[in-house]
Amino acid sequence: MSQTLEQITTGVIEGNIQGIRQLIQKALEEGLKAEEILQNGLIVGMNEVGKRFKVAQMFIPEVLRAAKTMHAGQELLHPLVTDARAVRVGTIVIGTVQGDMHDIGKNLVGMMCEGAGFEVIDLGFDLSPETFTEAIKVHQPDIVGMSALLTTTMRSMGHTLKAITEAGLREKVKVMVGGAPVDAEFAARIGADGYGHNAVVGAELARKLVEAA
Amino acid sequence: MRTNYRVNAGVRFEVFSRDQLEELFNGVLHVMDKIGLDVHHEEARNILADAGAHVEDKRVRIPTHLVKRALATAPRSFTIYARDGNPAHDIQIGPGRAHFGPGPTPPNFIDVETLERRPYVRDDARIVATVVDALPNIDFCESLGTISDVPTDLAAAYEFATMFPRTTKPIVAWSFGWDDSNDIHQIAITEAGGQEAFERRPNYIHYCEPLSPLVSTFEAVDKVIFAARHAVPVIFTTCALAGGTAPVTPAGIIIQTTAESFMGLVLSQIIRPGLPFFTGGVLSVMDMSAMILSYGAPELSLMMAGVTELAHYCGLPLWQTGGCTDSKCLDEQASLEGSLSVFFSALSGGDLCHDVGYTESGMTGSILQTVMMDDAIGYSRRITRGIEVTPDTLAVDVIRDVGPDGHYLYHDHTMQHFKTEFWYPNLCDRHNYEEWAAEGKQTMRARVIDRTREILATHNPSPVRPETAEAITAIMAAAENRVKNKP
Ligand code: B12
Repeated sequence: MSQTLEQITTGVIEGNIQGIRQLIQKALEEGLKAEEILQNGLIVGMNEVGKRFKVAQMFIPEVLRAAKTMHAGQELLHPLVTDARAVRVGTIVIGTVQGDMHDIGKNLVGMMCEGAGFEVIDLGFDLSPETFTEAIKVHQPDIVGMSALLTTTMRSMGHTLKAITEAGLREKVKVMVGGAPVDAEFAARIGADGYGHNAVVGAELARKLVEAA
Repeated sequence: MRTNYRVNAGVRFEVFSRDQLEELFNGVLHVMDKIGLDVHHEEARNILADAGAHVEDKRVRIPTHLVKRALATAPRSFTIYARDGNPAHDIQIGPGRAHFGPGPTPPNFIDVETLERRPYVRDDARIVATVVDALPNIDFCESLGTISDVPTDLAAAYEFATMFPRTTKPIVAWSFGWDDSNDIHQIAITEAGGQEAFERRPNYIHYCEPLSPLVSTFEAVDKVIFAARHAVPVIFTTCALAGGTAPVTPAGIIIQTTAESFMGLVLSQIIRPGLPFFTGGVLSVMDMSAMILSYGAPELSLMMAGVTELAHYCGLPLWQTGGCTDSKCLDEQASLEGSLSVFFSALSGGDLCHDVGYTESGMTGSILQTVMMDDAIGYSRRITRGIEVTPDTLAVDVIRDVGPDGHYLYHDHTMQHFKTEFWYPNLCDRHNYEEWAAEGKQTMRARVIDRTREILATHNPSPVRPETAEAITAIMAAAENRVKNKP
């Protein structure tokens, strides 16, 4: 394997946001294809990060930095690939529902999804159902992610899903939900497509949802 | 005659030196004056601007002289009164006094009969208040849950209405906004004998939470304004995650959260100078592997001790945290994390230590944990009371009197002191093996469960006045109508 590709893999693992662009440039100059750089460099690195996180050899700040590094690399490769989906797995619109201001969990899920190759549009928190439906119209995402941390705002998830259906957008998107008081049963009850109990599972779920589509 | 002789009335413990406290305080003033905080409440921004704050869009910068004026008017010592006039249940806030109580609003509760985790229901508020009323080392009451079987918007009002008649220990109330704050206040002032009587003898405290980093949300600010206008002692406390919503370093998170609390302080003191105010809050770490806010981390206790010292340095009482755990059940982890944090909290002398009974990172309330911690608090309090040094306690004469080969078993000196010098646990077992075996080899866990059930079967809290009972029914009926007619 090319030494530069190995350096790119290490760059992702080490979260070298500054260095990754140069490395990719170097790889392109060496004649490597964008697809190769992505598959055998960036993604190899990110997979390793995922493995190390699971066995507590890496921690959240390191994982997030790796995800940002991966994302910076993807941005550079995006115009160069023939099949755009190889670089950008899909688009996710994510936010915390109306009445709820807890956003750290949602931020983590968003960043993890970025690391998994998604384009993520973070709408913020305390979002009305209309904000979600408008964002779907504007960004045409594959997935909508909703977060709620309060039993009292979980109902806003139901309201938002209803608004999405009423706006005729339900068929266009997959919906995933999460947040500490949410569970799989609740997700099924309101008609969401999936539930993730943490950010890592959330990113895995997002991949499954686009692959199934 | 003695000169320059110092007495330690309790065990001393310090995190910071005065110089370090000065640096932290300056950090807080810098954040307030130079960085500022976003205040999502127009009326509050106007009040602050009129008092001399710099307001630019939502950003509010508080000049140092305004902070210092607020610190000068907010009291360090005051009393929160038991609703029935029982002085044993009054809470006297002041230097060297640590008080303990449960915490607010987890979604789940450990059922006292089945011992399973399930959603919190209204009857659990009765259970918690009754047990709190009976426990000797628990001083104030919170519900340990969010009631799930009443109209959502009335969860806080029903909670107060259910707990108030079941305990005479002061309640720390929370609410969603102005309307339910008012429901709660009406109940409390009816019992006190009207607003004026309440102002002389406040019988509950109100709790509000701003958002980290550096945001005073509409709801939190609105509730502070309500409390200030109605003379309700108020807590304005953040819940920050080091490395998530606040700096990863303890000194940094202490500065940020204190600045966040001080926005509430300044606002409350402008509206009602002298209003009892508690600065906050819950300072802990985001576990970078499990992705939770840890309620069992040593950093929680350490950072809470640090923020307590800063509050006391500024002349304010503090809303402490302890007796909590990340464990999912009543086990050794729950006992270890809960007891150590209770002890640390007692040492720091933080004024109201809450969350005694929080489990699973604040997701599940457990009154069993509170009952177990009651013993840990008693234990801690015996230590923090310290060692008295007087000619009598030095006991040199007694040692001479008994001499070699003697014994102290029923000596006058022993008789005089053994009941107050020694602390006796309610739950920890000290019997010898044979006695313990004869009693069925009971574990701590089993004794905790038995004691909780026994309190519930036997304890009768002193009732509210008949007019208060009637007022509660009327206020809750009106509240039901209000939410029914809400669009
Ligand atoms: C920090 C905190 C706050 C902070 C939030 C700051 C911020 N910027 O987010 C502040 C202080 C503002 C706050 C306020 C309040 N809070 Co709060 N808060 C918490 C606390 C302690 C930690 C939350 C957190 O950040 N966890 C860490 C993150 C990383 O975890 P997470 O959010 O669960 O996210 C993970 C997963 O759930 C999942 N996930 C999350 N979202 C999504 C979305 C998708 C699509 C997927 C797949 C996965 C997923 O992945 C994440 C990463 O692994 C929790 C307790 C708890 N254990 O959750 C209480 C808690 C949620 N709060 C609670 C309450 C009651 C409140 C208040 C109402 C308090 C009050 N009385 O004023 C207010 C409400 C404000 C509002 N309108 O939203 C209760 C909720 C109880 C209930 N019945 O639902 C809790 C449980 C605490 C308690 N015991 O009282 N809170």
